[in-house]
Amino acid sequence: MFSRSVSRSLRTTAGRRMGVAEPSYRCFSCTRRAYAESTKPNHDERLTHFGFKDVPETQKESMVGAVFSSVASSYDTMNDLMSMGIHRLWKDHFVRSLNPGSALPSRDTDKNGQGWNILDIAGGTGDIAFRMLDHATNINHDLETRVTISDINPDMLAEGKKRSIQTPYYNTNRLSFIEANAQHMPHIPDNSIDLYTVVFGIRNFTDKQAALVEAFRVLKPGGVFACMEFSKVDNALFNTVYKQWSFSAIPMIGQLVAGDRDSYQYLVESIDKFPSQEEFRGMIHKAGFMIPGRGFENLTGGIAAIHKGIKPLK
Amino acid sequence: MAHSPLCVRYTTTTIASARRPLFSLTLSHSSTTPCISSIQPRRLLHNHCARTTTSATATRKSFRSKTTSSPSLLRRPYHSTHHPDPPPHEYTNSQTTILSAALRHVPHHGFTRDALTLGARDAGFLDVSVQLFPRAEFDLILFWLASRRGLLRARVENGFFEPDRQLSVEGKIKALIMERLRMNSEIKHQWQDALALMSLAGNIPLSLSELHALSSDVLYLAGDSSVDATWYTKRMSVAAIYAAADVFMTRDASDLAATEAFVHRRVEDSKAIGDKLGGIKECLGFMGSTAVGLGRSWGLKI
Repeated sequence: MFSRSVSRSLRTTAGRRMGVAEPSYRCFSCTRRAYAESTKPNHDERLTHFGFKDVPETQKESMVGAVFSSVASSYDTMNDLMSMGIHRLWKDHFVRSLNPGSALPSRDTDKNGQGWNILDIAGGTGDIAFRMLDHATNINHDLETRVTISDINPDMLAEGKKRSIQTPYYNTNRLSFIEANAQHMPHIPDNSIDLYTVVFGIRNFTDKQAALVEAFRVLKPGGVFACMEFSKVDNALFNTVYKQWSFSAIPMIGQLVAGDRDSYQYLVESIDKFPSQEEFRGMIHKAGFMIPGRGFENLTGGIAAIHKGIKPLK
Repeated sequence: MAHSPLCVRYTTTTIASARRPLFSLTLSHSSTTPCISSIQPRRLLHNHCARTTTSATATRKSFRSKTTSSPSLLRRPYHSTHHPDPPPHEYTNSQTTILSAALRHVPHHGFTRDALTLGARDAGFLDVSVQLFPRAEFDLILFWLASRRGLLRARVENGFFEPDRQLSVEGKIKALIMERLRMNSEIKHQWQDALALMSLAGNIPLSLSELHALSSDVLYLAGDSSVDATWYTKRMSVAAIYAAADVFMTRDASDLAATEAFVHRRVEDSKAIGDKLGGIKECLGFMGSTAVGLGRSWGLKI
């Protein structure tokens, strides 16, 4: 009873905040939910897989918009609560390990132009994109590297645009936004991208292999596919604790803080369904990529993993 | 008698598969050829793929067979004159291309990401392609060590010892250590940084395994064929001498003359220590047998 009243009061507070345009954080759940909501009316067969209610097409956009405006502030808190703040460390580590930006000046003999051309898929709120641009600018002193943020959901992109106003990259040619389905991107030419990143997004793709093949197409020879996604914990003891946390605590936190249990229930289920490190590495290899070393790096005991693949020269 | 060739072959293959150097060595020595010199446990751990041996699932197995060419050959833990030596490292073709190109930038840029990036550019790759190396600059150092070791092997095979065949095993060891150090002379000014990087906690195991592989190669190439406990002590002392000389060389401004003298002194030292230990052992044995004889003469039942 207590929890219900708490959640109700939280929900009403959230409702009152409806119109406030607060910068959203790119989170585990919002990409998924926004994506699910936006694709629902067109692909009925996938609804069952997501396990959500049907929404009439006319109401869809306004509903997604309402969801975003009302709980945008709690998403930030939710991410921190669910991962205990560790997701920030993961993202920082991801960007640092990729080391975007050319620290060395281009030589006369080099055929490739200045700076990197980065494509951030499912990058909605620009979390990774801003980090990469910051790294290129401040660490490598590279003012040429540019990032294209691509997301299937226009609301997520709107959030990213809203947030980009606060960054020095607003309205420059270093940052651009496109609305696209990662499985089919005809507007991006072949062999044009240096670095393709997808962070906590590929889990929600309908056809992951098709997205990998498309990534292979758009990358330049020698270009890198880098992906961070939830994965399988390798330690049995830690796995028990983690499963307990994700299946009981996270939906509870979702209910108390965001007033929305179902979305967070789906979140943990989709994490559970995602292929293991080895299987996903096999999928990357199958798309044609070279696998560097072991092919993946586990973060926090395998809760998340960074996968990389390099497109061969020939 | 018709079975005898088969038997011999069977014996050698068991030798090859069993990793018991001491026993198998005597067998092969007496029966087949005089120069299967030593059979050594040697691991190449450069590639992650080769390291994921525990809990190999079906998918992992199939993946490995696709990426590494022939893991069974690469992880051979011994030297043999009957089988060609495995390559000194396990990097793929693309990785080797980039690393070889990067080595040309080492004298100027050192063992850094910059050298690696320039190597990637030279090889026609992008800046971002250095993601092929999960260990970044440490991969460059490992490649340097492994490829120079391979070069040393190739030099001996191409008649390094032809001018003076009469050289003793010890003399050959000294010559090989110096030859290997001379390969470092062109990057001498960058080598301290590399040593510092190699001594980081996470890098120590691979650095040591590479050092062991080198000392093992040196002894094999010098024709050492010990089959007792000295197999271990010899490798350890060669490794210690090489490591000490490596550090000494980074401060040697005299075109390696001082280093050569240093190596000479260290070899003499280790010989002296060996002699002393042998003397002490002999003395103790003599005293022991004297004590036993004395006891018996007093009527003790020993």
